[in-house]
Amino acid sequence: MASEEKGPRPLGDLERLVMEQLWAAPAALTVREVHERLAGTRELAYTTVMTVLDRLAKKKLTERERDGKAWRYRAAAPREELAADLMRDALDRAGDRREALVRFVGQVSDEEAALLREALSRLNEQEPTG
Amino acid sequence: MITPVLLAILALVLTGPAPALLARSDWPYRVPRAAVILWQAIALAAVLAALGAGVALSYSIAGRPGEPRFDPSSARDLVAAAILAMVALVVVRLLWAIGRVAVGTRARRKRHRDLVDVLATPDGLIPGLRVLAEETPLAYCLPALRGARVVVSVGALERLDDSELKAVLAHEQAHLRARHDLVLEEFTALHHAFPRWVRSDVALEQARTLVELLADDDARRRNGAGPLARALVALAGSPAPEAAMAAAKSATVLRVQRLAGPAPNEARLSAVTYAAAAALLILPTITIAAPIVRAMVDALS
Repeated sequence: MASEEKGPRPLGDLERLVMEQLWAAPAALTVREVHERLAGTRELAYTTVMTVLDRLAKKKLTERERDGKAWRYRAAAPREELAADLMRDALDRAGDRREALVRFVGQVSDEEAALLREALSRLNEQEPTG
Repeated sequence: MITPVLLAILALVLTGPAPALLARSDWPYRVPRAAVILWQAIALAAVLAALGAGVALSYSIAGRPGEPRFDPSSARDLVAAAILAMVALVVVRLLWAIGRVAVGTRARRKRHRDLVDVLATPDGLIPGLRVLAEETPLAYCLPALRGARVVVSVGALERLDDSELKAVLAHEQAHLRARHDLVLEEFTALHHAFPRWVRSDVALEQARTLVELLADDDARRRNGAGPLARALVALAGSPAPEAAMAAAKSATVLRVQRLAGPAPNEARLSAVTYAAAAALLILPTITIAAPIVRAMVDALS
């Protein structure tokens, strides 16, 4: 049985917000700094931020380094670079990556586009209300 | 000696001419669910027949089937053992391919999902929906046992009205519910399991098209044919830089033409197709099992 996520995923959503802080910051941030930046917008436990940063490091989305007693985190790659990776992955029509995701529809040639419009107009005649 | 020859012929027919013929036919598109089963039966029967041919050949060289004696000084027994070893090798290779495809697909999918989760914004329209801030029109799903995602780009949202978006989402949710990705995975594994010169991607390509038709049919039942067809044209018909990458003739035209026709209702054709699939599986199984059963009966009497 396949299932989509049920209910809210607070941690998953936080991962995105934490990454946005790291991308926006000029240098690597400590857990406390990330927590401070996020605490302004929402109520958040320090340990939660720690957990999220740890998870992001496990996913290789952040890198961390020792700074005295604290860890400093930075994004593993700029946002644009990861976005480009994602799009390349999503649009890849050949090779092994293809089976990882199922695309709604690929791109078509000009002749096919003409055939599509023709079929669509036939459909529209059948149901004029659309 | 007749059994291995028959099984080998069956295996050859099921790997070459039968898939080619089926791929050229139009009727499977009228019964996509039964057609997927038929393709799976053909693939499985081909593997069974090929393996069965090896086992039967080995038995017929070594002497009576089921005879437990192995004599290392006998050339016949050595040849028979070598054939059995080759059969085992093919089985191992097949299992290895299945495992490798399963692990590889899941790893790539997980990385992709991790990226989606930090780059795309959740949307409450349906569970698991993520909106990607990209202009390229794009909609796809990331299947998973837990935490499946449907990803839609801003470019796609701009091209769709509400009813069309609903149709796209219904199509993707049909993929996720029915785990169509697992069907594609089987055919990918089978494709990888055999050397380049014997394999063809006919079955995999057909399976890809058929699962799209299945998801289309599901979305059509929920939202009607119109919105889905318009969504397909809106997302596929736009000229995009990567159009050149679509080398093979896409299934998109087939899908839209199909939506323009009446909803398929082919109970009889579907029943015949299921029966053919069952027959295909029973045939090699009986051929392999018959000599073994006969030997067991002989041994007991």
